[in-house]
Amino acid sequence: MKNNDQRIGVFVCHCGSNIAATVDVKKVVEEIKNYPGVEHCENYVYMCSEPGQQLIREKIREKNLNGIVVAACSPTLHELTFRRACEAEGVNPFRFESANIREHCSWVHHDISSATSKAVKIVQTIIEKVKQNEKLTPISIPVTRKALVIGGGIAGIQASLDIANSGYEVILVEKESSIGGHMIQLSETFPTLDCSQCILTPKMVEAGHHNNIKLYSYSEVEDVSGYVGNFKVKIKKKPRYVDYEKCTGCGDCMTHCPVHYKPHIQPKPEYSKQIEPRLKKEVDQILKNYLPAQEGSQDKEMLVLILQDINLKYNYLPEQALKYVSERLSVSLPQIYHVATFYTAFSLTPRGDHLIRVCTGTACHTRGALKILDEFQRQLEIKPGETTPDNKFTLETVACLGCCALAPVAVIDDDYFMMTPKKVGELLKKYSKI
Amino acid sequence: MPQLKSIKALEDLRNKLNKDKDPQKPCIALCAGTGCIALGAHKLVETFKKELKQRKLDRKVDLLVTGCHGFCERGVIVVVRPEGIMYQRVQENDVSEIIETTIMKNEIIERLLYEDLSTGEKIIFEKDIPFYKHQQRLVFGNNSRISPVSIEDYIAIGGYTALAKVLSGMDPDEIIEIINKSGLRGRGGGGFPTGRKWQSCRDAEGETKYVIINADEGDPGAYMDRSLLEGNPHSVLEGLIIGAYTIGSHEGYIYVRQEYPLALKHFTIALEQAREYGLLGNNIMGSGFNFDVKVNRGGGAFVCGESTALMASLEGKVGEPRSKHVHTVEKGLRDNPTTLNNVETWANVPLIINNGWEWFTGIGTERSKGTKIFSLVGKVNNSGLVEVPMGVSLRKIIYDIGGGIIGNKPFKAVQTGGPSGGVVPASLLDLPVDFERLTEAGSMMGSGGMIVMDENNCMVDIAKYFVNFLKDESCGKCTSCREGLIQMYEILNDITEGRGREGDIELLEDLSWILDETSLCALGSSASNPVKSSLLYFRDEYETHIRDKKCPAKVCKALITYTIDQEACTGCTLCLRQCPNNAISGEVKKPHQIDQGKCIKCGICFDVCKFNAIIVE
Ligand SMILES: Cc1cc2nc3c(=O)[nH]c(=O)nc-3n(C[C@H](O)[C@H](O)[C@H](O)COP(=O)(O)O)c2cc1C
Ligand code: SF4
Repeated sequence: MKNNDQRIGVFVCHCGSNIAATVDVKKVVEEIKNYPGVEHCENYVYMCSEPGQQLIREKIREKNLNGIVVAACSPTLHELTFRRACEAEGVNPFRFESANIREHCSWVHHDISSATSKAVKIVQTIIEKVKQNEKLTPISIPVTRKALVIGGGIAGIQASLDIANSGYEVILVEKESSIGGHMIQLSETFPTLDCSQCILTPKMVEAGHHNNIKLYSYSEVEDVSGYVGNFKVKIKKKPRYVDYEKCTGCGDCMTHCPVHYKPHIQPKPEYSKQIEPRLKKEVDQILKNYLPAQEGSQDKEMLVLILQDINLKYNYLPEQALKYVSERLSVSLPQIYHVATFYTAFSLTPRGDHLIRVCTGTACHTRGALKILDEFQRQLEIKPGETTPDNKFTLETVACLGCCALAPVAVIDDDYFMMTPKKVGELLKKYSKI
Repeated sequence: MPQLKSIKALEDLRNKLNKDKDPQKPCIALCAGTGCIALGAHKLVETFKKELKQRKLDRKVDLLVTGCHGFCERGVIVVVRPEGIMYQRVQENDVSEIIETTIMKNEIIERLLYEDLSTGEKIIFEKDIPFYKHQQRLVFGNNSRISPVSIEDYIAIGGYTALAKVLSGMDPDEIIEIINKSGLRGRGGGGFPTGRKWQSCRDAEGETKYVIINADEGDPGAYMDRSLLEGNPHSVLEGLIIGAYTIGSHEGYIYVRQEYPLALKHFTIALEQAREYGLLGNNIMGSGFNFDVKVNRGGGAFVCGESTALMASLEGKVGEPRSKHVHTVEKGLRDNPTTLNNVETWANVPLIINNGWEWFTGIGTERSKGTKIFSLVGKVNNSGLVEVPMGVSLRKIIYDIGGGIIGNKPFKAVQTGGPSGGVVPASLLDLPVDFERLTEAGSMMGSGGMIVMDENNCMVDIAKYFVNFLKDESCGKCTSCREGLIQMYEILNDITEGRGREGDIELLEDLSWILDETSLCALGSSASNPVKSSLLYFRDEYETHIRDKKCPAKVCKALITYTIDQEACTGCTLCLRQCPNNAISGEVKKPHQIDQGKCIKCGICFDVCKFNAIIVE
């Protein structure tokens, strides 16, 4: 359908206060009214009610609409309701679409103005979709009653078993030489701390022996064509030099193989060659104090202490330094970042010349710490955790400085101050000169 | 200094130190704990040194720079001995007067004396001041008597005698029996019997065993561990060495919070000195026992105070707790048997060894023995660290020691136990404070924070404060704790911002139950205590927020407005000049107005107005 033939009607639902309390529906109507292709737009309390449906039908008749958008709840609820209403007026039901501004918008947001602008965007997107929608007529075709499950992890195995146990044939494809996936690599599982094998192995064996399951391990899906109920799938069995009938899976051949089988391991990046020489020298200096670790402990146990020293030196953790430490300690980079982001002492971005820490401990809280923090925020125009654009100040909060009797307290660099909101300005003035 | 090669050598040294000391020599003891440093103690020390030298008194008068005395509210504190005269709020320009009047002429400076709040009477001697008089300072008392960086000071007052006693041939089982009989319980929050912990660790299989000092003190509002480490690090160390000997450990650790640089420094110095004197290292005092201690800084995560998380952190990992189906006394640090105790717990050990369990059981209540240090802070006149026997009533702590509420306002509640504790209302003021009674009242002993609140503290706000703290500190391992706390915070935030709905309270109660039952560590499973206890005693305050959209304590910004009483305003323009957002307008000598659109509700106008003309509703 050409663009200038579009005569779309958009109906925005309040859903009582479900939508209207958070999304300004009138504003949505205003914004959508003049959107290209929109012929009619209005809002109504309950679009799914009988009067609501009548409203759609009336407008189709009145304005000769040929596409409908209802901005309301999820299509799982009322898509059919509105399609029927369209059909009754001779509009092809597939020229109707639901814009979900409830579950995807009003229910998950608080702020009215941002929720409203998000709702507008959702509706616009759906209007564009309707423009692409062709008129369709349902047909019937025969269906092959077989299922393909790709991936033999816990989800794939369970899905295969469920379908197979309901009496259908399943084809389970796994690219590795064994099913089991990631779960089989875990030592224990949350929250019961059962070992994963206890849960998984019975299912693996069942999947392997099930009459309705045809298992293709060490195979990959190469091509999928066709459509629902009539797919054609090409599965590539990777070359295998093992007689599957006889193999018991003992794994001996793998340990004796001269060509190591390491499909997952990528060559290690050499961070020590990428790091800036000066930084490397300084980090080496720090590492020297801790490595090699003393008897009884391992190098990687020193990680937190090393990061503390690096953080102390640079006021933050430079990325290159982290990578280098990762290589030296043989701790993976994700592990390093896990630690670096866990402890509040570490910062991944450079801090300013002066570090202001406002104590928000309980004693300070009861004596007005938030007013102090507000005042710092207001004057510096930054939030806690941020640094001023001129790199002069970084503002942070700290849970307790242990000076509770002097509350409320703030520390600038290493000096403690008993605070009042008024003092904030004086201190900032003083420190901005240093 | 030669190493102390035998127990006798320690005795000899002590005798010599005490013989050389003239008890009548004037001594100026100056508090340089973190609180007093914030008030300028360092400068005072310099000035004292300079002025004493100028008057050629530097050899005749001792200047003793000590750790925290506890009365932080009144810093900087100076005590003149041997008389024991206490001066408070001393400033740099008072120094020469103290030297000239008190040291040289033996006269009192009235102006610097402490004034009793109720009677208005000036009190001369430290021992007569109510704040100190009602305390029993067993663990904390020596802070003001020694220099924290001098092992000799500690030895002179009897330090390391308990260690000597133990090493002179006491059987570890005998020590455990003494600790068991003393009834000492962990001061870190849980109150677990220390003797039982040691016993299990001693019995656990393994060659290598560890002892650890938990100095993470993450509870916001508590700072006794810090002050002990800053002011008397050797007492903690002595306890640790005794524990190590008992358990059969040769390697110890201290895990100190990174926000505590001074504590770290003093403890490190203490370790160096102890090594120098042969109190750490190989063959301690000729006993054949070897032991040393390593220092570890925390990374600023509250959950790292939890035993398993702390040990993970010591291993250089993320501080996430693990489930404790196997206890840390059996498999702790590096999977070896480990005993972890709180700073204050360790500091109690030498006392018990020296004075016997019978003495210790004479203090406290039936199931909570000894004393406990509390940090008494918030809306109380005398805030600071107080050490009292277990079982003393809240009233005594808050009124007799704390001198009552600031501005004589009515007492509303006291928060104990930090984020895992709860609020105790005014009706329970006579509650004896010990492990059991606080738990019965819906709160907790915790690490000993005591935050006093008056009518201007909003209970919903306090609950929100703790939940906010915990949501940030949750390690994120358990879904219930990680997500539950966020949701709890959202609900509390809604209530304080006027979006509270009917059913919110019930929802909070449901969530509390889920958190209690399904969290792995005590952070999650006690996280709902602040909410539950405030709901127990102050449910009506929640209801007023939800139904009437009002905050009775006038704390929750979204629910209050500031206006100017047109009758009372004299047009002095003070508020107009102070308002940070220029929301106040008006002419001189004419009543002012507040532009509600511009008002950011900072409350500065209310604080500065001298005519009570600012109305908060
Ligand atoms: C979240 C959390 C934080 C804790 N923080 C501390 C702490 O800062 N200091 C401390 O001594 N104990 C803390 N504990 C208690 C410790 O787990 C442990 O019980 C205590 O250190 C044992 O020593 P104690 O028996 O001498 O009390 C914390 C516990 C939890 C669950
Ligand atoms: S309860 Fe909370 S803090 Fe404790 S382990 Fe679970 S998620 Fe971590």
